[in-house]
Amino acid sequence: MKNFSSQTKREFLKRMAATVSAGMVVGLPKMSLAAGETIKIGFLAPLTGPVAAWGKPGLDGCQIWAERINAAGGISINGEGHPVEFIGYDNEYDPAKARAGASKLVIEDGVKFVMMLGGDPWPGAQPVADRTGMLFSTLLPSDLGPDTTTLIAPAEVHPIYNVTGVQWLAENHPELKSAVICAQDDALGIPSVATYLAAFEASGIANEDPILFDAATTDFAPIVSRMISLNTDIICLDTCYTEFVHPLVEQLFQQGYEGTIISCTADFYQQMIEKTSAEFMEGFVFQFPDFDDPALEQDFINFDDPAGFFSEYNSRHPGEWGAVSWEYASIMDLWKWAAEKANSVEPGDVLASMLESGQGEHAFGTADWWGMDLFGIDHALVGNWPVVVIKGGKARIQDYKWIPGWYDEFGDILKKYFTQYNLMWDQR
Amino acid sequence: MQTGLNALFAAAYLSLVAVGLVLIFGVMGVINFAHGELFMLGAYVVVALYTNLQMPFVLVVAIGLIFVGLVGILMEFTMFHPLRDNPLGGLVASIGFLMVIQASITIGFGVRMEHVPPVTQDVIILSEKVRLPVQRLFVILSAFVCLTALWLFLKKTKFGWALRASAQDPEAAMLQGISTRTVSIIAMFIGAALAGVAGSVTAPVISVSPVIGHAVIVSAFIVIIVGGIGSLEGAVLASVTYAFIHTVITTFIDGVIADIVGLSLMLLVLIIKPTGMFGTQDRV
Repeated sequence: MKNFSSQTKREFLKRMAATVSAGMVVGLPKMSLAAGETIKIGFLAPLTGPVAAWGKPGLDGCQIWAERINAAGGISINGEGHPVEFIGYDNEYDPAKARAGASKLVIEDGVKFVMMLGGDPWPGAQPVADRTGMLFSTLLPSDLGPDTTTLIAPAEVHPIYNVTGVQWLAENHPELKSAVICAQDDALGIPSVATYLAAFEASGIANEDPILFDAATTDFAPIVSRMISLNTDIICLDTCYTEFVHPLVEQLFQQGYEGTIISCTADFYQQMIEKTSAEFMEGFVFQFPDFDDPALEQDFINFDDPAGFFSEYNSRHPGEWGAVSWEYASIMDLWKWAAEKANSVEPGDVLASMLESGQGEHAFGTADWWGMDLFGIDHALVGNWPVVVIKGGKARIQDYKWIPGWYDEFGDILKKYFTQYNLMWDQR
Repeated sequence: MQTGLNALFAAAYLSLVAVGLVLIFGVMGVINFAHGELFMLGAYVVVALYTNLQMPFVLVVAIGLIFVGLVGILMEFTMFHPLRDNPLGGLVASIGFLMVIQASITIGFGVRMEHVPPVTQDVIILSEKVRLPVQRLFVILSAFVCLTALWLFLKKTKFGWALRASAQDPEAAMLQGISTRTVSIIAMFIGAALAGVAGSVTAPVISVSPVIGHAVIVSAFIVIIVGGIGSLEGAVLASVTYAFIHTVITTFIDGVIADIVGLSLMLLVLIIKPTGMFGTQDRV
């Protein structure tokens, strides 16, 4: 009685709710697959609207992945091949639509795994994950928290990998001593701001105050004027949406900027070169390679035939290759590996199989399940990440950097900025 | 100086959109929620004809003006005229039309940003730190030409007089033999065409996507409320005022704060002078 009375009513109700939820998860029937039965995978991401560039190309990549896997006999469970099918749902980067989509995919469609972009829509889908125990993935580990144990960030450790670009710049261009960051003021931009601030500080590069703008901005000339007026050696475009990166770069060109530019992404960079010049774009640093890059033809790369995938993607969707074109497919590589190891497609079994050894096969090499410090749970797969630089009009990987190594050395700085922006899991 | 040029560019395209919105409201009494999508349509005319078919840019802008103007007439025939006796009918129908246009463009062109190659990369260098790209100068000049032409049309032509008369007192205008229906069609064509030309001339310097109309319409609504709903002069002056305030705050303080100040300005005007800076009981 003493223990019970020491709890608040709210705590008691929360525990009861958790118990009931757990019971529901445990109570979910484990359906064994019929011979040759198709395995359905949910794709819950923005397929229309301003963030569609980080959803739709991923689904297109997954279709190619599925065709390759199905042609090779499908996913092998207990020695039997099962074809895989993706069911897309457009959440329009909206939490309410994400919730409706998650419910439909899990309850009506019977998917075994749901891939999301994450970010603003995740709070909409989270109750569905908590209630059903469905395994979800996000590209944004800032969605991770200890409360949802079935969410993983297995492909993109956004924005932590951005430290690698800054680290490479500092090593190769020690003359660069100051930087200014601009970003849209939202769930994608702010964590990246905190990360870049930490990365610059760790590299001994002085930061100006970040310049934030509204996501409805159409004219970027005033923002660029302000950045140029600060006379920094580096202008950092953070994780701005593609619709923002292009006009920002064009304005930097037109307003006569001559310094170094670093950005998380440079989707459709050939179009940026056309709007500026190859000379202007020379040395532009970002984080996402073209998959015909020779540096991806190495033994530690866990992505089957990247050049073939890149070629097939471009033949089907000319000019649309972007940051996420390969990422969801690489998540499926990991999921397939874990499911075949577990001989099960049930969410709990696959998750346990993924996490079993503390390491997983990431596209850019074996990586660690990581994140307790920042996210309260080791559900982010973190390892190598490439640094990409435009040279002679073509993006090429310059180096791979080991992210946990950077964090071991400079983690306290990153935590300082995450805390400053209220991004730590216990602040959210 | 660079900030001033940036503000002038923003004021130019915003005033084209806002004046068109005011003209439609002034003559027809309809708040056209799909006006931002008319801007977007103008930009997609450039994508279709300039980017894809490589037609001359100036010709494409002229086609954009006419095409979007005709879409405006279509809206008048299919929505605003049939619903003229329903106070909210036109507004609600325009919201539906907005979705139809967005969906149509998405089906036709896809969801992602369209690439519009630069018309020119020439930059007028006024000083070491002051540059005016010729593309942006073209937007400023286009706005000046269109708004001057509109002013001359309204003040110097019989159609313009008829349009102003219908806006001030439709019944008296009818008694004078003016066809208010014809006037409505003309107003709708001009209002839509102005939004279309704004979208066309700015297409090479912004990111063209099916959702660009949203940001533009929000700014345009702020402008017409500050300037006074129904006042063309107010729309132009409020566009300039809003663009300068927004640009200066974005440049020297913060873009997010600039948005907050813009909305606060609108609220302030609504509290102090609900008819807006130049608003009267008369329209246009």
